[in-house]
Amino acid sequence: MSVPGWLFRAPALTAASVSASWLAAIVLSIYRRQSRVIGSLAAFLSAIASAALVWKAPQGESLYQTLMLLFSCVTFGAIVLLPRRDSEAGTITGLLVLLGSTLLAYSTGNLLVLLGAWVLSVIPFLWTTGVHSRKWRPMVALLSSSLAIALAIGFMVARTGVFSISHLKGQSPGGTVAFALLIVAAIFRKGIIPTQAWVADASESGSLVPTALLLNGHFGALLVVKLIVPLFPEMDRLFPVLSYLAIATAVFVAIRALAEKSPRRLLALLALSQSACILSGLESRTPEGITGALVHWVVVTVSMVGLFGILRLLEVRFGENLSASRHWGLAEHAPRLAVSFAILGLTLVGLPGTLGFCSQDLLISGTLTTHPLVGLLLPIATAMNAVSFFRLFSRLFLGQRRTGFTVMADALPRERWVLAGIVLFMVVGGLFPSAIVIEHSSGIEVNEAARTFGNPQPVRPTCANNLNMQSLLAKSSGKASIAAVQLKK
Amino acid sequence: MTLFQAIVVLVVLAPGLVFALFALLWLLGWTPGERLLAWVTGVTFSACSSGVAALIWKLASGSNITVSLGSWFTVDTYHFPLVLVVDRLSVPFLALAAVLSGLIGQFSATYLHRESGFLRFFLLLHLFAFGSLLAFAAGSFDLLAAGWEIVGITSVLLIGFFHQRRAPVENGLYVFGIYRACDIGLIVGIFAMHHWAGTASFAVGFPSLTGGQAVIVSLLLLLAASGKAAQVPFSGWLPRAMEGPTPSSAIFYGAISIHAGAYLLLRAQPLLAQSLLASTLVILIGATTAIHGTIVGRASADAKTSLAYATLTQVGIIFIEIGFGWRWLAVAHILGNATVRTMQYLRAPSMLHDYHQMHSAVGGQLSATGTQIEEMLPEKFQLWLYRWAFDRGHLDTILERWLIAPLLHTSTYLSRRNRTGTPSTIAVRPADAPQAPIARVARRGE
Repeated sequence: MSVPGWLFRAPALTAASVSASWLAAIVLSIYRRQSRVIGSLAAFLSAIASAALVWKAPQGESLYQTLMLLFSCVTFGAIVLLPRRDSEAGTITGLLVLLGSTLLAYSTGNLLVLLGAWVLSVIPFLWTTGVHSRKWRPMVALLSSSLAIALAIGFMVARTGVFSISHLKGQSPGGTVAFALLIVAAIFRKGIIPTQAWVADASESGSLVPTALLLNGHFGALLVVKLIVPLFPEMDRLFPVLSYLAIATAVFVAIRALAEKSPRRLLALLALSQSACILSGLESRTPEGITGALVHWVVVTVSMVGLFGILRLLEVRFGENLSASRHWGLAEHAPRLAVSFAILGLTLVGLPGTLGFCSQDLLISGTLTTHPLVGLLLPIATAMNAVSFFRLFSRLFLGQRRTGFTVMADALPRERWVLAGIVLFMVVGGLFPSAIVIEHSSGIEVNEAARTFGNPQPVRPTCANNLNMQSLLAKSSGKASIAAVQLKK
Repeated sequence: MTLFQAIVVLVVLAPGLVFALFALLWLLGWTPGERLLAWVTGVTFSACSSGVAALIWKLASGSNITVSLGSWFTVDTYHFPLVLVVDRLSVPFLALAAVLSGLIGQFSATYLHRESGFLRFFLLLHLFAFGSLLAFAAGSFDLLAAGWEIVGITSVLLIGFFHQRRAPVENGLYVFGIYRACDIGLIVGIFAMHHWAGTASFAVGFPSLTGGQAVIVSLLLLLAASGKAAQVPFSGWLPRAMEGPTPSSAIFYGAISIHAGAYLLLRAQPLLAQSLLASTLVILIGATTAIHGTIVGRASADAKTSLAYATLTQVGIIFIEIGFGWRWLAVAHILGNATVRTMQYLRAPSMLHDYHQMHSAVGGQLSATGTQIEEMLPEKFQLWLYRWAFDRGHLDTILERWLIAPLLHTSTYLSRRNRTGTPSTIAVRPADAPQAPIARVARRGE
């Protein structure tokens, strides 16, 4: 019996990866039993469909498919890692809705679908945590970002009447207003200065893992890659502002984290500081900077979900009053959780031999080329984050062994396998980065993005004359003379 | 790949592979026994030492051995070269790392017998050996930085080896902070080389930089080297690092890690030769550290700290030699100092025991050590100098007051500002870190 060919076409696989999670969410909202099994199965199916998409994608055009595979796998791991206390139907339904909407946002080429996915991704967090929380900042930030992107897309569609992103490339649809609204949306969603406070607030209440997944969808960065970069090449003079804001966020939040006592807030601040570097890399206008940003995207996503997951497991075992102001000595009780925590945290700050080292190397190299100040501040922010992380690690896991706990289990088998998988991915990915990650994070899309800003060769907007093109390239690149020569040819 | 190229790769990779294998198996639930670990360690480092001996033989009869393993990763025109080089500068350091790691492994098998962190120590020893062999065999500054970072992190984790006590953990954190701060110099220096010279590889020739560029890169590398070699003003971390087990103190702060900074400067010698400012600064830092080390060491109350400052004094002198361009004198000095200090560190615990035994055997009549040179100074100055030396030249206090405390105050202020938006936490007192500096905690723990 042969399998129908359409099953392996990209649209069918994309639909399968998105709908598997949403169908499972609908089933769970009705059935409400075996939630972990149903949830992990759905995430696994999404991961298989995404893997098939990566396999089917042409060479150098697998960026979004890789991100889909990454997010599906991370969600699968998160569902398996969830402590029993958090694995009720409501939480897992929320995770599945978030998974489906994130995959949809990654895969879509339509503005309205992107808007729908953006709004849908926010709903589970607001439903489970945001509405009941006394913290108003996360709700305001997420709603503001949704409003900003809705207005931006409204402007673009009203001006051009086109919904397809590929048809709008290089046309600056909606003009400066739409561009500014998209920047505002990205700033709010990513927690870039001055909106950085909501990220730490969001991590303070409820189960940590869904919040970690919400933060690690990196919708702000997606907006930059998907809309801001390809649609508005003429706004190139304004892009360094985004880069400077991002690096200011990374440094500011890194300083802010130095004296933070709450482990949840501290991890959220580290996630924010490190993920802000992604924007700096994306804006660096160099292939290595953009590739570094995308690899860093992978690193931050995987390690932060692992770190938040381990912290939640510790809270469930040892109580929710863990603090970084004293030593807890938990390594004696949970050595494998301690080791996994250390490796993932050090990966985040660029430990050699892990994927974090490659991403930091590429990021610093790329940003130093175009923005020396950003390139200089990036290792400083990373160094401060490393100190904050090591402080958290030593306070949680080292120190005198505490004897007042009734439950002292180390990683359970299911947790152990997930954590070993994550650690292995980081290490093997770090040893063989080209084969595993970089190949999918570079290629045509990255080169195209680099060309759009700085590389002098093939940017050919249909409506721009040669003179405008020359001046644009001269402004956006350090290789203006080469650009001029090539354009004359 | 020729036989000797394969030997270079195996010498560098062997400890790393042992670490990776045992770490993965442990993570999955299996813990190896002490005897197996000691045996594997012995075999690994014996093989590494034999390999290095073969490389020395080859080097004596021929030219440098270069192994190009392609690029670790490549993006557009940027690539991370995987090049190993064994030349007359790297081979003494490779020999030192392989032989001393093996010796420390054998010593520790007995010294740490039935210690709860036995496996942890041996895993970190293998990781450290891998990092140091990688740093010494690297053919580019990029790869050297990778090994350098691994040496740093294993050093910190071994300082906190006795993690049930607060002082080692806090001291580990302090050392980690200093390392990370100084490593910024190495990272930015490497990327500056990439930016200006297009490469940071020295396998086939040193990156060519102009005068000004050479000064900037040299100063950045000097920052990294000073941090790793505990030169003034970063010397405060060295006595804190003595909280780790004696074998790790011996190999890290008596032999390999403390001399890694000097190795970096020896590698960057062509740059230093181009820059009078950097060379002068190297000499000044070395001289200051040597004087600081010898004075502070005289006021140290415990054996390991005295040894640490004795090492520091010698490393200061090695910096002076490097600054003057006396390359081979510096290498010989490093080899001698590393070997003697390792022996002294390993002997320190039993020496104290022997001394006490002998002291009681002769009825508490052991003769005094003789006249000290500082006794020739005026008494008032002696007292001032003692106080200065006892507080280790106030270096920690200066760093805390002018760098750490302002950062923590800023962080606390920002934390307070951030939390004013949440009514439930307004009353929460902000972080109290500035009131309890790490140094005071550490001193209480000594």
